[in-house]
Amino acid sequence: MSGRLPGVGDREVIEFTFEGAAVTAYAGDSLAMALWAAEIPAVRGSSTAGEPRGVLCNMGICYECLVIVDGETVRSCTTLVRAGMNVERGGLR
Amino acid sequence: MAETADIVVIGGGVIGSSVVHYLTRLLDPSTRIVLCDRGPVAGATSGSCMGHLMVTPDSAQDYALTKTSVALWRQLNEELGGFDYNPTGALYLAENDEDQEMFAVLQKQFDENGDRADVLDAKSLREVEPGLADDVPGALFYPGDGVVLPMLACGALLRGAKRRNPNVCVRSYCGVNGFEREGGRVTAVKTERGVIATDTVINACGVWAPDLSERLGEQRLPIYPRAGNLAITGHHVSPIRTQLLEISYLRFAHAASDVDPTGTTNDRGGHAVNMQPQRNGGCLIGSTRQFCGMDKDINRALLERSLMRAERYAPGVAAAPIVRTWVGLRPYSVDNHPLIGPWDPVKGFYIAAGHEGLGITMAPITGLLLAQQIAGVAPEIDVTPYLPARFVA
Amino acid sequence: MSELVIDADVGVVGAGPGGMAAATRLAEAGLRVTVLDEGARAGGQIYRQLPDGVAASVGILEPPSHDHGHLMTRGFEGAELRRVHGATVWDAKPGRLWFEHEGRSRLLRCQRIVLAPGAYDRCIPFPGWTLPGVVTAGALQVMVRGFGVVPGKRALVVGSGPLLLPTVTALLGAGVEVVAALEASSRWRALRAAPGVIGNAARRREAVWYMKQLWRHGVKLQWGWTVFACEGGDRVQRAVIGRIDGQGRPKRGTERTIEVDVVGAGFGLVPSTELGLRLGAEARYLPERGGHCVIVDDEQRTAEPSVYAAGEICGIGGAEVAAAEGALCAAAILRELRGDAVAPAVLRAARAERRAADAMLRAFSPLPGLSELARPDTIVCRCEDVTRLGAQQAAEVHGESMRAIKLGCRAGMGPCQARICGPSLQAMATGDGACVMDRPVVQVPLKAVRAATIQNAPEAC
Repeated sequence: MSGRLPGVGDREVIEFTFEGAAVTAYAGDSLAMALWAAEIPAVRGSSTAGEPRGVLCNMGICYECLVIVDGETVRSCTTLVRAGMNVERGGLR
Repeated sequence: MAETADIVVIGGGVIGSSVVHYLTRLLDPSTRIVLCDRGPVAGATSGSCMGHLMVTPDSAQDYALTKTSVALWRQLNEELGGFDYNPTGALYLAENDEDQEMFAVLQKQFDENGDRADVLDAKSLREVEPGLADDVPGALFYPGDGVVLPMLACGALLRGAKRRNPNVCVRSYCGVNGFEREGGRVTAVKTERGVIATDTVINACGVWAPDLSERLGEQRLPIYPRAGNLAITGHHVSPIRTQLLEISYLRFAHAASDVDPTGTTNDRGGHAVNMQPQRNGGCLIGSTRQFCGMDKDINRALLERSLMRAERYAPGVAAAPIVRTWVGLRPYSVDNHPLIGPWDPVKGFYIAAGHEGLGITMAPITGLLLAQQIAGVAPEIDVTPYLPARFVA
Repeated sequence: MSELVIDADVGVVGAGPGGMAAATRLAEAGLRVTVLDEGARAGGQIYRQLPDGVAASVGILEPPSHDHGHLMTRGFEGAELRRVHGATVWDAKPGRLWFEHEGRSRLLRCQRIVLAPGAYDRCIPFPGWTLPGVVTAGALQVMVRGFGVVPGKRALVVGSGPLLLPTVTALLGAGVEVVAALEASSRWRALRAAPGVIGNAARRREAVWYMKQLWRHGVKLQWGWTVFACEGGDRVQRAVIGRIDGQGRPKRGTERTIEVDVVGAGFGLVPSTELGLRLGAEARYLPERGGHCVIVDDEQRTAEPSVYAAGEICGIGGAEVAAAEGALCAAAILRELRGDAVAPAVLRAARAERRAADAMLRAFSPLPGLSELARPDTIVCRCEDVTRLGAQQAAEVHGESMRAIKLGCRAGMGPCQARICGPSLQAMATGDGACVMDRPVVQVPLKAVRAATIQNAPEAC
């Protein structure tokens, strides 16, 4: 369903975890895009109802794509992947 | 537009909304009540404040006022709901030995009023509030305090009023320009959208209460704006789940000010920690005080101190995203007590204003006491200290 | 970057076409220039690049105008100036820009400021728009051109305005099936844009390129259609599409359901004016230019004399407008600081591009009837989970303004600071699609930043 264009994988592989499960990404990916490419478009629980939410604007405006990285809530679309990151779903869990 | 009303309430904040609400409880549902505000309901202080429901034990009178009012909030939550009522209690935090000495003083005050607060040691403190810094030596926990979201409370109070009385009319974006009087009585209110003939008017205009009284041709009430800077975090990042205050808050907030409230440039302002969890998992961070007239620009020095001190007690604050900062103006009455009752020189003119930082706490009791006075019913508690007559020149 | 305080002659906010044009020219003239940009690489939204050192062997399909954009970006990246990427500006005053960068609180001090912060997608709520997989048209372009990620297998592209076409072609290039491409405007309304396109060689070439791509891939733009609802579980699975009338009102009964796994919705753009307002610029509400727009004089100067603005912040206009206005900002600053005359050609270019863009946008002015798509239980404020009904109930008690709605239900008080919900909220709750938006509230922080950033701001007081 999701995937990557040919050729874009020719770069350093970066591994991180999302909700405890390993995710493979590439240097220069944003967290949101690494998760999307890994078939994980839902990254946050909505504030009141905990419904699945994910990227809306993909440019740092909407704050829908919030995740928790090593304890801090950040926008996954503006945060680049780093090896060993521990990422959890943002918002209401 | 010629119109008549039995009662006109001016000011759509938490006080005005509460007055309307309690009037509908005590008066016949045919009573025509109009609420006017020059902006939106909850658009001024009630839309820019914290939501502390605070019981103050320092005098029997103040205890009766605040305790009764907080009990009324609990009742309002059961009947109306919809304003994020949260019975958090309050944790008064100590930083040093001098602070911890205050615990005994406070405990005694609660005890004298037939109430109870418990001293928590460092270990049990962390069971109540795991987000606290490791080096906080202890706290006093008073379970009777709580938190509400004042802007939603205004809406809930008015909806409740309209359900009891279909003749309640809420008019936002309808400012009051002046009045008509016949000598010692008020006979009409002149609004932006026409004149309303009435013989009963309530001034619930908070920091603008002096302006409104002046438009009536009366002296300016001795109520002065006292600015507070606030910051709120994003959702689900709050490091706390109870309400935090530092013990010095009591001295700082509720003692009479030692700075001239009428000045606008001679107060550098001060701060004491007050932090409240929000329903969406955010955290509201305050509380600063400064007399600087109607200036609503953020005071960066006070804001930074506020964040620094919040972080001192709850280290999780440092990494929390701050979504918004703003300034609210508390209506400080010169003798540190609100005005609740008739303005004797003008028959039919009442005041409900001047609550400083206890406006949210005291909104229900204020509404009830004023409604009781208008309805001619015995007031819930002794209202003598709050009568505006004390300021008549 | 280790410094917490940077000094420059000119601070430029935004590394899109506007910021790049201004910064490159100022640097060429020998001024010390620092550019603050929130993205990871230069180009802004429109000229998004893949991560450094990455090239896609196939799949990045871009219109002819982007060649010039990438050339501009190369020029900018090689220029003698300081680029700070990943910078979030959160407060400012003339001569000062406070920003968060790599977790630290920093300050840029400068004599002049050029603002080219761009725009963001106007969002129209509809049932199911909060499902993962339903994104803005801009988001899809970022996915493909900025990260080489294939958004899905079957896409719906919907909305109104010139941005739909590059979204469709980005998807086609990435091998995504575009099941439907829906333009809300009617074909004859869009014809109003024709003179601007036909009369300009570059735009003509661009139009022909788009027509060829659509024809080659068998995609037909449907005029007067939009999305009525999206459905799915953890991700969008279906979209209900239908016809709308000339005002944008849904014609119930014309619905069809299509199977999709990604939806890109783009109903125009909204200028990012907050930083300008904070700096003392004035704004005017110009619905055809996207909403509140910063006002500038004929040399791109705002009401605050040391602050200039170029591109979308002055009204939606696109990359060519931004580049031309950015160049004019640079020329005007050089005249002020050096006495160099502003070349008439630079002035003419800025004016001509803006005029052409205004003409084009008239064909895609906002359709008030689209506010009828949201049902009472449709979320209208995504941050605070407020429904349309909740917003209407708030307006009934608190008053009929954006501010009143906020106070009555907290809509607009979340971390997006009402950027997403603001444009739709007031019109919807008051039932008046033509209602003027309240002016954006200018507040600090301009974007959410850590408490530590505010606390540790250099030179704050």
